[in-house]
Amino acid sequence: MSTRSLVSVVDDDESVRESLPDLLKEFGFAVRAFSSAEEFLESEYVSTTRCLILDIAMPGMSGPELQRELRLREYDMPIVFITANGDATVRPRMIAQGAAECLLKPFSEAALLQALNTALASN
Amino acid sequence: MENERGGMSAIADREWAETQLAGENRLLEMIACGRSLNDVLEALCSFVEDVIPKCDCGVYLINWSGPTFHLGAAPSLPESYTSEIEGLPVRCETAPCGIAALSRRQVIAADLETDPLWQATAYRALVLAHGLRSVWSTPIYSLSGRVLGTFCVYQRIPGSPSPRLQELIAQVTHIASIAIERALGEDDLRRSEAFLAEGERLSLTGTFSWRVATGEIMWSEQSYRTHEIDPATPVTLELIGTRVHPDDAPSFKAQLERATHDGHDFEFECRLLMHDRSVKYVRIVAHATRDRNGQTEYLGAIQDVTERRLSENALGKLRSELAHVARATSLGALTASIAHEVNQPLSGIITNASTCLRMLAADPPNVEGALETARRTIRDGERASQVITRLRALFEKKTITAEAVDLNEAMREVIALSSDELQRSRVVLRPKLSDDLAPVSGDRVQLQQVILNLLRNAVEAMGDIHDRPRLLTIRTEQDDDVVRVSVQDAGTGIEREGADRLFNAFYTTKSSGMGIGLSISRSIIENHRGRLWATPNEGPGATFSFSIPREAARVTSEQPLNGNRRSLVAGPAHALRSS
Repeated sequence: MSTRSLVSVVDDDESVRESLPDLLKEFGFAVRAFSSAEEFLESEYVSTTRCLILDIAMPGMSGPELQRELRLREYDMPIVFITANGDATVRPRMIAQGAAECLLKPFSEAALLQALNTALASN
Repeated sequence: MENERGGMSAIADREWAETQLAGENRLLEMIACGRSLNDVLEALCSFVEDVIPKCDCGVYLINWSGPTFHLGAAPSLPESYTSEIEGLPVRCETAPCGIAALSRRQVIAADLETDPLWQATAYRALVLAHGLRSVWSTPIYSLSGRVLGTFCVYQRIPGSPSPRLQELIAQVTHIASIAIERALGEDDLRRSEAFLAEGERLSLTGTFSWRVATGEIMWSEQSYRTHEIDPATPVTLELIGTRVHPDDAPSFKAQLERATHDGHDFEFECRLLMHDRSVKYVRIVAHATRDRNGQTEYLGAIQDVTERRLSENALGKLRSELAHVARATSLGALTASIAHEVNQPLSGIITNASTCLRMLAADPPNVEGALETARRTIRDGERASQVITRLRALFEKKTITAEAVDLNEAMREVIALSSDELQRSRVVLRPKLSDDLAPVSGDRVQLQQVILNLLRNAVEAMGDIHDRPRLLTIRTEQDDDVVRVSVQDAGTGIEREGADRLFNAFYTTKSSGMGIGLSISRSIIENHRGRLWATPNEGPGATFSFSIPREAARVTSEQPLNGNRRSLVAGPAHALRSS
């Protein structure tokens, strides 16, 4: 287990929390899913997460707010944002703000793999 | 003079009377002919100087705002004398004329050299220096009794007027009063005409009169200016017709025909096309009056409202652009929320299906896991379909107010609401409403929205028509069991094959708008169990019609009407406008 990289998923949508970890496990990652930014911050996995897959719009702390909070706490794991609200303008904006990638739901398996590769390579 | 008079015979008396009469007549004629006041007063002085030997006469006018004397006429007196009188204050001590004017009575200074009354005055010196001895000054009264000036007779010998001369003086003073009052009246008239002309010029409002029976038309200067026609040109309806914008000619003609027929006040707007191809907007307001013979004469105003209209048009364009933005924005927001709701389960479906494939492709296949992810795929698919169901419910209004609706009345209200827009769009409206129309059962406001939508479509379809009248015919008719409304335009028309596509949501031939109106209209009419269809005209344009079952022919309470998209986009008025 220790050789597998930990990918954490933070999304308030339950179907994402159910489906995405299974796929990520198929890719060969270790996965943890959280329903909110706060839950993730309080967990023991913050420091061991190698890559964060983060929903943009969530009740409570939003994805970008979590991103800022992590930077304040000097965590620099790459972040792949995902959103169901996105239009063409979102992706460049998020990347400009330091995201490794930004995926618009629904995204393909290939796009997800590509994003993770980019993210982990940058780390 | 007294001795002169003593020797007068009856013949001399008659001659005197005839001379006086002839002189008076000549003066009155000059006044009637509109000769200048100065001419008349000079002639008046000369006439008296002819009759009374060796006398000089002067007429002095009073400006009561001084008060000061001003020279009316004194043809025989030297300038060295008259220049002293000009601007002289009207005061008692100054001269016989001052006393006459202020005391309102005749002053006879029979001999200024000897009369102690004038001994110390500057006036005495002035008069004597010009070789004059006696001065008879008589006030000139207006009809209302105001003193307009004085009439003065000077003689080089001392003396007083005989009764006969007094008679003459009274007569010419009266004539002087007529001449002065007339001149003052003309001045007033000229001034008020000048005010009016200036007012017309500043407000760009010309005036006109029009005798319908004779076709006689009078224009003020400003009316000529507005039409850019030479003021010497006699005005005729044909002449005006040459200025009316060709697009507006039919509605202009219709307005005039109506005015000719019913003799009522009228008010309308039309465009004028100038020689340099520039366009003016004018608003014409006319009040009908009747002359003694009961003939109609219109008195009215023509106001150039070009500037106002252009800024209104610009504002209107801005407003419709704003409305379009608002529609697009709310539609955009709606799209975004639908997208979000659908994207979530879609995302789950794709991820689960990808996982499922991987699990099955593994060696050995993870059938257990694959089954689970497949089940989740189905669940997310159902979730997506629920989103659609919820959306549909959101746009459905479960109940509809079903009342008896008189489509004629509903139609009239819509026409009244649109009359400004119709007129601005130069549309000639021909309502042909059936006198005998059964009510239908339904939602009055919704049905009016459909009518309004059809009306606006018709107006827009004729927006680019310039070679024929923009005729809009609106009909209500009744068959055995349906009431039918049709809106016929003379616009660009529709293709016979494509007619049905018009009713698809988002189908539009216009650069603006989103093509929702007709599809909503059709769904409203179908919810009233009616039909909405379009047919190309025999001539130019198209006719949009709908029919709804008559109230009596319908079951109302058992099956409530359902479904309309009232809340789609930014409200029905906006949605309908955008077809």
